Amino acid sequence: MNKRAYYGNYGGQFVAESLMNALEELDAAFEEAILDESFQNECGYYLKQYVGRETPLYFAERLSREYGMKIYLKREDLNHTGAHKINNVIGQILLAKRMGKKKVIAETGAGQHGVATATGAALFDLACTVYMGEEDIRRQSLNVMRMRMLGAEVVSVRSGSNTLKDATNEAIRVWAKHAEDTFYVIGSAVGPYPYPKIVKTFQSVISREAKKQILEAEGRLPDAVMACVGGGSNSIGMFAEFIAEESVKLIGVEAAGKGIETGEHAAAMALGQPGVLHGMRSYLLQDSDGNIKLAHSISAGLDYPGVGPEHACLKDSGRASYVSATDDEAMEALLELCKLEGIIPAIESAHALAYAKKFAEQTVQRMGKKEAGEQILIVCLSGRGDKDVNTIADYLDGRGYLN
Amino acid sequence: MNRIEEKMRQLKEKQEKAFITYYTAGFPDFAATKEIIKAQERGGCDVIELGVPFSDPIADGPVIQNASARAIQNGASIKKIFALVQQMRSEGVSVPIVFMLYYNTILHYGIQEFAQKCGEAGVDGLIVPDLPLEEQEELMRSLAGSDHTILIQLVSPVSGARISKILEHARGFVYCVSSMGVTGQGADFHREIKTYLEKVREVSPIPIMMGFGIRTSDDVKPLRNLIDGAIVGSNFIQMMEENNFDPTVAENYCSKFKTELNE
Repeated sequence: MNKRAYYGNYGGQFVAESLMNALEELDAAFEEAILDESFQNECGYYLKQYVGRETPLYFAERLSREYGMKIYLKREDLNHTGAHKINNVIGQILLAKRMGKKKVIAETGAGQHGVATATGAALFDLACTVYMGEEDIRRQSLNVMRMRMLGAEVVSVRSGSNTLKDATNEAIRVWAKHAEDTFYVIGSAVGPYPYPKIVKTFQSVISREAKKQILEAEGRLPDAVMACVGGGSNSIGMFAEFIAEESVKLIGVEAAGKGIETGEHAAAMALGQPGVLHGMRSYLLQDSDGNIKLAHSISAGLDYPGVGPEHACLKDSGRASYVSATDDEAMEALLELCKLEGIIPAIESAHALAYAKKFAEQTVQRMGKKEAGEQILIVCLSGRGDKDVNTIADYLDGRGYLN
Repeated sequence: MNRIEEKMRQLKEKQEKAFITYYTAGFPDFAATKEIIKAQERGGCDVIELGVPFSDPIADGPVIQNASARAIQNGASIKKIFALVQQMRSEGVSVPIVFMLYYNTILHYGIQEFAQKCGEAGVDGLIVPDLPLEEQEELMRSLAGSDHTILIQLVSPVSGARISKILEHARGFVYCVSSMGVTGQGADFHREIKTYLEKVREVSPIPIMMGFGIRTSDDVKPLRNLIDGAIVGSNFIQMMEENNFDPTVAENYCSKFKTELNE
């Protein structure tokens, strides 16, 4: 067993023999690159000049007053392409270039990672193919159009549930065939080692900035940081620099869909069991035969039946806690942020906001209003909600809000 | 002695090349599966790979993906597949049976319990395409101590220096994947196929079986001196589908392939 590939009992490299050398080559190239100052400078340059970092750590004053705690929003929604996904894509595409690969492939669910990858591929003149479930292509036609405009080929995946899980299967299959000249850009903190490590490294810019910013603004560390968890890329990025700071609570918010008790949810940590999917051992939603169950969430980005292995390890060790928010709770929080702060968040990020509200309520109950009001919470606003306007309209329609 | 190893010994004695097929258990149902397996045995198939359907078969192409999905829809499960093997053994089926399955099916069942159940049911070997050498420790520990069930090792055209490490403790036969990627892509073997097979031949103490993308005995003719047998999966399943799962077609195909392979 390759101990380096594991986070406690989770992680590993559960892939076909034909990919083992490709993973080793990737790991070596990555380790070499991140120690190379010119690579770091190049990443830094594009993150600043192209992506628009650093992103603000915004003190949401009206939201704080409403919820009863000091709430800071890490504004990943202000990145180019509209979400945190681009942080990781810039890093991986520069790595692909460095390794001499001419083609990149990616999986995508809602299309955010696909758009980010297509963007990076256009910028660095690489051929790009994005695998996307047939069902998601239908639901997210705007992002499909974006990817095509950016020069990517979007391949419709018709197998299984026709969503992100199946698009990932297909991307792994294609990679197994073309690993010799193709770089697989994984968007979430999942997959076989070294991917979870690579994604974490490139996303940890979120907490590196946030830590510096909160110290400037408040002169102390936050009491808690919070982020939504699908595969777990924005959350591991938000946690990274705070893991060693024991006083900071780490809270991941999964999608409870229609409610955990209904069976229609994406709460792999709450109800999943350890298993193997997409090259990693982690918590997964499974049926009684060990087949992977379909996840459900109103947000396509959280609609994933598993979770990254480091999160599984952080859960078991108790260092981080994982909770959930339902479709309804997320939509309510989304609308609240629109009205109170003039920010339209992605539905994914709204899950973190929804739990922030509950968390603040509990804190007020526990400490009283005055003391709770001094507590500092950072919520990762992982993306903006422009892509979700159709879904939001449908939801409001169904609920009769528009009438 | 393990049934696969015993079969390999007999083949070596007779200087015969092996013919191995893959079939998805429960496709389209268990009654058909049983008749097809019996027909394959009659047709002279040396080892039968029985695919245990999984929801996310990342090493398989469209044909086996589709067969797996349909089998699951029709109620196939690992428990029922164990029962099928056990029943066939009691009805006199003696051909070595190898499960080809994904690791999660084993993990979810419980590794120790799974190994024990394989022995009880009469499963002689396991091929786990998403379990490379580095991740095999736990399963190996559970299989050790009994000869009933062995783990079959896979090598690929890009395994290179890994080949000798993989073969160090390999038993039964080594499964040489003919091309990169997934099952059932047509006989489009890796460009370095000969060099690769020669390399395996050099270090392998056990027979070499080649699989992925093979349809007819002609596909492997140019390579016959380098391999000890051929494995057919997707093509066999497709043929069964096209012929309404007729056992006679299965029997004739196996018998023809096996004969031609040894001409």
